[in-house]
Order: sequence, then C-alpha cells, then structure tokens
Amino acid sequence: MWRVPLLNWLKNDMLYGLIILLMYLLIGEFVANLLSWPVPGSVLGMILLFITLLIKGGISTDLKTSSNGILPYLPLFIVPASVGIVNFMGIIEQQGFALLTAILVSLIVGIPVCGLLAQRLIKNQLNASQNKDHNS
Amino acid sequence: MTLDWSSAINSVWQSPYLGLFLTLMSFQLGLWMFRKSAHQPFLHPVMVSVVSLCLVVLFTDLSFDRYMQSAQLISQFLGPVIVALAIPLYENLASLKKYWLPFVVSNILGGGLTILIAVGILAAMGGSELTVNSMWTKSVTTAFGLKITPEINGLGALAAAIIMFTGIFGAIMAPWLFKLFNIHSAPAQGCALGICAHAVGTSKALEFGSEQGAFAALSMSFMGILCAFVLPFVA
Repeated sequence: MWRVPLLNWLKNDMLYGLIILLMYLLIGEFVANLLSWPVPGSVLGMILLFITLLIKGGISTDLKTSSNGILPYLPLFIVPASVGIVNFMGIIEQQGFALLTAILVSLIVGIPVCGLLAQRLIKNQLNASQNKDHNS
Repeated sequence: MTLDWSSAINSVWQSPYLGLFLTLMSFQLGLWMFRKSAHQPFLHPVMVSVVSLCLVVLFTDLSFDRYMQSAQLISQFLGPVIVALAIPLYENLASLKKYWLPFVVSNILGGGLTILIAVGILAAMGGSELTVNSMWTKSVTTAFGLKITPEINGLGALAAAIIMFTGIFGAIMAPWLFKLFNIHSAPAQGCALGICAHAVGTSKALEFGSEQGAFAALSMSFMGILCAFVLPFVA
C-alpha cells in the first residue's frame, strides 16, 4: 500500500489503516453511483480491497492493525439501527407469527440441505481423487 | 447556595451523549451476560443491548429520534467495518482451495433455497410487501442487511430483527440438526452455519473447531456479497 508522504510522520498504523478503509469505502460509493448500481458502496469497497489484497498477495501491518482494532466491535455498530424496530411494533404484533414461522421453517430445511449438499460433494471429490490415485 | 438537583439531572437526561453512553453500557452488559451464561445464543450481546435500549425508548420520554442523534456516531462505523471484512475473507481463503466447488454450490443452492422458503412462507401467510422485502436479507449478516434493505425497499430495523432471530435460532438448532442428519464433515458444518446463521452461526462454528469457523466466516461473507449483488435485481 502506498503512503501519503505528508502523513508519514504520524506513524500510526491504526489511523493509517482507518484512512485506507475509508478510502475504499468512498471509492465503492463512487463506483456504485457512477455505474448507477443499486449495490451498497461499502460492499463494493470491500470487494475492491479484497481484490487489491489478492493482487498484492499480503496484508500491510497498518491495515491489519486497524482491522483487528475495529472488527471485534462489528456487533456494537449494528445496535443503534436495530433499536429502530421500536417504530414498527405494529408490524411485529400483526405479522410476528408469520415472521417466526418463516424463519423457523427456512432454518429447519436450510441447515440440513446446506450441510448435506456440501458433505456429499466433498465425499464425491475425495472418492474421485482416491480413484485417480489408484489408477495412476 | 441551593443545589438544583432536578435541573442537573435533566441536563444529563437531555445530554447529546446519553444515547452513546446507554448504547455502550447496554452492550457491555450484554457481553458480560453472554460470558456468564457460557455463550447462550439467546443472551447474545446484540440481543441484550437492543432489547434493553428498546425498553428505554418505549417506556421513557427519550424518543428514538433523540436516541439516534446521539448513537449515530456508532452507526457511522458500519461502512468502514464492512470494508475491513475483506481482511478475514482474504485470510480464510486458503482453506477454500480444496473444497471451493462444494462451498460455492452449497452457498448458492442451499442459501438460495433457505431465502426463497422464508420469503415464500411469509408471502403465503399474508406478510405485507414491506415485511416481505425485509425478509430477503435474512441470511446475510446484519451489517450487510442494513445496507442492502434500502436498495430493495425494505425496513432496515425490521431486517435487523429478522436477521438476529435467524442467527440465534440457527445457532441453537444447528448442533441438533447436524446429529439428526448425520452431518459430520467439518467444512459442511461450517458452510451450513455460515449460510443459515451468518455471524451468530460463525461464532457457534468456532466452538466446533477452526475449520468450521473458517468455512462459516467464508460462507457469511460470500452470502453477503451474493445478496448485495443479486437482491437489488430480483427482490
């Protein structure tokens, strides 16, 4: 990652990492608006950062420091918006049962399907590679 | 000198820092309860924090708008923290090398199925358009959900509640469903937890083992990205 020379004297990895994260966030917003994609700028920024890491093949210490610094607080950051549910208590009263049924049924079907699907494909893959070893 | 107690207390109650303080306090309380209860999913810090803050907003004269003005600062970090998720995604990528195909297939087919079932049932049981729109993001982590729902005309707060309950019930039911259906492969357990129960499932998966944890974290990010790109065009 290139460094802005002016800010070099700070030598603060946490701050530097945060600047990079915000930079990617703003680039994400920019690209999403430029292409008028209805995709959140933050998600686009994450993908762009991920691609940068893939190309560079490593994570710089400043980025590592600030992500270690803020990622553990992710659950805290979603709290204020979640409290907004107080404005929609009527919906919960009227449709709470339907919501709960939808959530529970989709989980009871979804978890075994995802798990069994992955397990079966992994087993096939292992068998295939074993047969190949056998033949060669 | 007379001490004006009521006006002093009132100034604290009206302070622009109150919402920030209450949020941090309730979250700390949640963390403490989660630890004390040996990680009981129903006492997840977010659950404890959100429920106690909702009670304060509902039963005192601290309105949601005034609370949000103060707590806005915390919400602002949602953007950079989503970008930061690229780092664990990159670090976990190595575990994918061997099993990327099972991973992608179970994410797309399994993840798609669980979302369609939830949306279908809700629509069939008479859910309003707003509620149905908020259900689409049920299998992504809340940070992504809050950003995606505005794009698909859903309610962020309702989506957050749906996601929270999905994660909690998923983490509770998964160990039991794994036994019932004899799902023992570590990557498969991780995928199922990450796809169906996102972040709450990922912390549950880490209790099973590090391989489960890596696959759960990868599934969570993959589902988030997939939904961010697909939902605005289909939902």
